[in-house]
Amino acid sequence: MIDTLNNLYAYRQLLKSNVRKEIRGKYKGSFLGVLWSFVNPLLQVLVYAIVFPFILKGGQEHYVTFLIIGILPWTFFTTVILQGTTTVLQNGGIIKKVYFPREILPISVAVSGLINFLISCLIIFIFLIFSGIGFSWYMVFLPMVVLAQFLLLLGIILITSAINVYIRDAEYIINFLVNMLFYATPILYSPNLFPAKIAQILNLNPMAVIINSYRDILFYQSMPRLLSLFVVIVGSIILLFLGLKIFKKMQKGFAEEL
Amino acid sequence: MRKTSNNNIVISVNNVSKTFKIYSDKPSTLKERLVFWNNNKTEYHEVLKNINLDIKKGETVALIGTNGSGKSTLLKLMTKIIYPTKGSIKTVGKLTSLLELGAGFHPDFTGRENIYFNASIFGLTAKEIDDRINDIIGFSELGNFIDSPVRTYSSGMYMRLAFSVAINVDAEILLIDEILAVGDQHFQDKCFAKLEELKNSEKTIVIVSHSLDSVKKLCNRAIWIHDEKIRMDGNVDKVVDEYLKVCG
Repeated sequence: MIDTLNNLYAYRQLLKSNVRKEIRGKYKGSFLGVLWSFVNPLLQVLVYAIVFPFILKGGQEHYVTFLIIGILPWTFFTTVILQGTTTVLQNGGIIKKVYFPREILPISVAVSGLINFLISCLIIFIFLIFSGIGFSWYMVFLPMVVLAQFLLLLGIILITSAINVYIRDAEYIINFLVNMLFYATPILYSPNLFPAKIAQILNLNPMAVIINSYRDILFYQSMPRLLSLFVVIVGSIILLFLGLKIFKKMQKGFAEEL
Repeated sequence: MRKTSNNNIVISVNNVSKTFKIYSDKPSTLKERLVFWNNNKTEYHEVLKNINLDIKKGETVALIGTNGSGKSTLLKLMTKIIYPTKGSIKTVGKLTSLLELGAGFHPDFTGRENIYFNASIFGLTAKEIDDRINDIIGFSELGNFIDSPVRTYSSGMYMRLAFSVAINVDAEILLIDEILAVGDQHFQDKCFAKLEELKNSEKTIVIVSHSLDSVKKLCNRAIWIHDEKIRMDGNVDKVVDEYLKVCG
């Protein structure tokens, strides 16, 4: 494990330039460029904000702000999972030609997703100001939630990116699972909608805990549920170690399978 | 005494065998894996068998052999792109492999940006790249084109840029696979001179090549790989002559 970390540190410049390539290279040639990573979720919010108030009668106060606080972290989640799962496969060309620590690939997807998300937090702040909700000191817990989400994502894609090399179906299965999870996570709705028992089951989903924490901190301006959050962080760290181990084992066959 | 001589060995290959799986039809999706799970005619193809060899610091070694004899596989094993089925390989010091030039170039980025990206794949830090960037651009002779996107380059310019990055990485061990034929005569001579210079500065170089003349000029040791095994190992002239007698 120490060896892996040392090796990654030696290749830190590759991580940096790879992240830059992920962020800038993706939208190169398009007119709006990097702005697309913010326009897309905003358009999504627009659609939901028009459609959902009709379905959820009774309505949620400040529904657009409520939605944005759910959708931007969710966009962070899906882009990293979907891009991360295919990243080893897509970089097959370099993997077959040059040695470098392969872990760099999923890590740079997660880091570029994180940077995108941090920038898009500006949008959240703008909505918080204009809706009159404002800020509270509970925001000191925000880095903890972001960290939990980052570790969770990295752990997941270390595993899925390696599996996808051997079983190409993984990509489609994960795509489906992510779509399902969207409805099982309180993004469009508030978990208070359900009786306590069902809300508890929903809370087994780590993304539910994370989204609820963002909402508690930013929207309701209250204490996030620290115990649940703590469990997610510890679980994510375990997943991350497991992911590094699995990735390390599976990467030996990458060049031959690609 | 023994210890000091061991310290000089920068590549040591111990009992290495490499077997590739050959699928008649490789199952890569779940359905294929489930449907054809017992119908899997996997054949194994042994490319290298119990290879033992040590390369000392400062040696310039050529791997020669007919097509498919396993030279490139051995080179890939040394760079850790693939891993041996049996045995182990140890290398000491920073290692750069030029298996294919321009791996990881992004067509929309400029030559300069691609230098940073390509050099970072070889494990250089930003400061190390800053120190070398003028040498690299100078060596490539690209002039003002360095700030144009790489997709606008001719194939010769592309190769020149890629070679310039790779050769200026300053690794202690350089592994090269049949890429001495880059660019026009002038640039080829320049590459050759650069390799000579690296050779004289105590770098270890391993080359896979079919151009036996350049091998004879550049290397001092040759290893002939034939039928999964080392057939001959020693002075470059002797090995090349013997190889030509049998295979030429």
